[in-house]
Amino acid sequence: MNKTLLSIVVATSIALSAQTHAAVYANFPITVKNYTGDKTHSESFAGQMARHNLHNSVKKLISKGAGLEQTSDYFSGKLAGRAIIDPVSKDGFPVLQTQIDELSGGKNLSGKAYKGLITGMPGGLTGAELLALMVDKAAQTESGFDPLTGYDYTQLISKFTMGAVFYNQAVDVYLDEKLAADTKPNSEAYKDGAAYTGKEHVWDEAFGYFGAPAHTLELTAEDVYLIAKQSPKGFSKADYNGDGKVSLITEMAYAHAYYAAGFDKGGKTQYLHTIVQAFLDGRNLISSANGEALTDAQRSELIGYAKVIKVQWQRIIAEAVFKYAGSVYGDIEKLETIIEANGDAGKAYRSYVKHWGELKGFALALEVGGVNLGETGVKLNRLLGYSPVLLGNTQVVALVGDEFVQSSSVSLAEYRVHMIKLQKLMIDAFGVEARSKDVTANLAELVDALGDALAAEND
Amino acid sequence: MMEWLLSFIQSWFTELTGLVSQGSKRVFVGYLLSAAIIAVVWLMWQRRVKFLSALGWLFQRNLWWSSSSRSDYQLMVLNQAVMLLLSPLLLSKLALATALFYGLNDWITRPLWSLEISVFWASVIFTSCLFVVDDASRYYLHRLMHRWPALWAFHRVHHTAQSLTPFTVLRTHPIEGVLFGLRNAIVQGLMIGLFVFLLGDRVTLLSLLGANVFTAVFNLLGANLRHSPVPMSYGKVLESWLISPAQHQIHHSQASQHWDRNFGVVMAVWDRLGNTLEYGSNTQQLIYGLPDQTPNEHQLVILYWQPFKNCWRCFQRNKPGTLSRTQQNRHNK
Repeated sequence: MNKTLLSIVVATSIALSAQTHAAVYANFPITVKNYTGDKTHSESFAGQMARHNLHNSVKKLISKGAGLEQTSDYFSGKLAGRAIIDPVSKDGFPVLQTQIDELSGGKNLSGKAYKGLITGMPGGLTGAELLALMVDKAAQTESGFDPLTGYDYTQLISKFTMGAVFYNQAVDVYLDEKLAADTKPNSEAYKDGAAYTGKEHVWDEAFGYFGAPAHTLELTAEDVYLIAKQSPKGFSKADYNGDGKVSLITEMAYAHAYYAAGFDKGGKTQYLHTIVQAFLDGRNLISSANGEALTDAQRSELIGYAKVIKVQWQRIIAEAVFKYAGSVYGDIEKLETIIEANGDAGKAYRSYVKHWGELKGFALALEVGGVNLGETGVKLNRLLGYSPVLLGNTQVVALVGDEFVQSSSVSLAEYRVHMIKLQKLMIDAFGVEARSKDVTANLAELVDALGDALAAEND
Repeated sequence: MMEWLLSFIQSWFTELTGLVSQGSKRVFVGYLLSAAIIAVVWLMWQRRVKFLSALGWLFQRNLWWSSSSRSDYQLMVLNQAVMLLLSPLLLSKLALATALFYGLNDWITRPLWSLEISVFWASVIFTSCLFVVDDASRYYLHRLMHRWPALWAFHRVHHTAQSLTPFTVLRTHPIEGVLFGLRNAIVQGLMIGLFVFLLGDRVTLLSLLGANVFTAVFNLLGANLRHSPVPMSYGKVLESWLISPAQHQIHHSQASQHWDRNFGVVMAVWDRLGNTLEYGSNTQQLIYGLPDQTPNEHQLVILYWQPFKNCWRCFQRNKPGTLSRTQQNRHNK
């Protein structure tokens, strides 16, 4: 009887353990043939997490008014000994690592930035060149803000880095060209002595760039949002292994995963879980090949998961464009009211350009996903322009040398209408559903408040 | 199929209960109660009757269970199902509001004065304008229903009521219900689109009991007595501005001198402008229904089917029975 009971308990534990494993992006078996190292599992995305921490740190440095040298250490440098500037331990949310090297050594952001042409900014620059220019310009400002052009470099650099490095690398490199049969095959180690195969690591790197905690499927969108915010309320959710500290490699949330969580917690979308589930399904598929080359059927299934990730990820960025277009719309309304009343527009202007920086950064990111946006891209760039419309109805129109040149533009009121069109473009072209800061939301609210006329009431 | 049927029946039941549980509906239990209180007080005051007598007179069986009233209830129940089935085909208020909002933003620049209007005043102006335009459009559609033979064919159903209870407001042919829905969508959709364009998210609906505050107040003040045997008049001064129960009862009168009078719902100004206003009287005694209606016109099948036949006749030349109420009125004169 006791033996039977014990068997049931053991079997249940094994089943539960397997179930737990199935929901976490961790503990994948080593399938590399003849592996002789001491690793016990094959997943590895510490390099991507190092870049997330470099990105967070660059953003923090620019906003604090750090000089070019210090910012460049994190943006383009690869030196050892760099402290993590953000995230750092906070009351109620201690983190495990304090040095970039504890995550992965020799990493930078500039080396992985998109090398294709960016059409949404003047000068015919590549993504990498544009980022480098902006980092340089940011160092010449106070706290990353240039009131003359309306550029909030902190936001522009941050949001565009998320696109030009993380998004581009993941969807245009790892989930695209590196899924080809003869590139990084699954029948070989990624590199000599590695505990992971070519395809295993390709997939892991893409997962790492998304920025989700490994145990995301055991969390709600709200949990992940709190974790990214380093809220003490999110600590117990983040500390999956219960060691009292949040690992910046496996337990922290960054970049687009944070934005996905932000949209999903509204309840209309499930970007975060859909993407992480697709990553998990894809990784399990690769592991199931047990170190053999993927068959055509397996690769085809894997490309199917990659497609889910690409579509959903692009939609997250489109949702962010939608959201910040709504914020800019609201900011312009405030500005118009203040100007009409001859008030002090300083604070409202700062808020306007901050939101514009976020909007532009995300809009530029849509260009780097390896998809030709066609007419949508043209409309996006024309509606948004190269800079926010400034209070004197001027806008940046060109880059001459390394100086941005302005010329007369549409009025602020017309530019506000561009934001409405921009939101509609995101709905029509990308099917965004969360629709934060929807400028037409009040239409639906009023329709709801007035109810229907189905009762067929007479006069 | 079975799943769809169950879900449909559930929605139908929800719509039916919603009629009496939602403040946006005329026969909401709160409005029925307030009308009953007003009626009892009015009867005790005007007719010098005691409370129980007033109550007994109000709830007499031959009023509430007449063949006319019974057909009201049947139409009420079945119409909710029909309207539920037709609802996906109806014009979307939101689509219209959104299209106008985008269109206005494309065509014109929002005037700067709109920025100076506060949230409070934006909501007051929106709610008032909506109420006035809605009321005017109801007057105009009602008038068309009497004027155009093809529309009168359907609106006639409402006028075949020979005893008036608050549920007579739901004695409507579904085609007429669709037209009401269309009017509602057009007026409210356009007003919402226009006001959100002008005033953005500062616009809210001032509501009471889940309805436009003006509509709710109108309903609380005894709107249900319009369809009742209580001839409550407001007196000439007030009746020049607001339609009293007595005035609407005149609209239902069988007497030809009352035809095409008092089309208005809440405000009497539209009837004044259209020269269709008739004052009511606390002592008026009226016979309701239509002089040419047949005894079988309270049968559900006839109520649903006959209007289609009558409507079809409107498009056939030289056929009898194709006159609208207005044409009949002219003919009599």
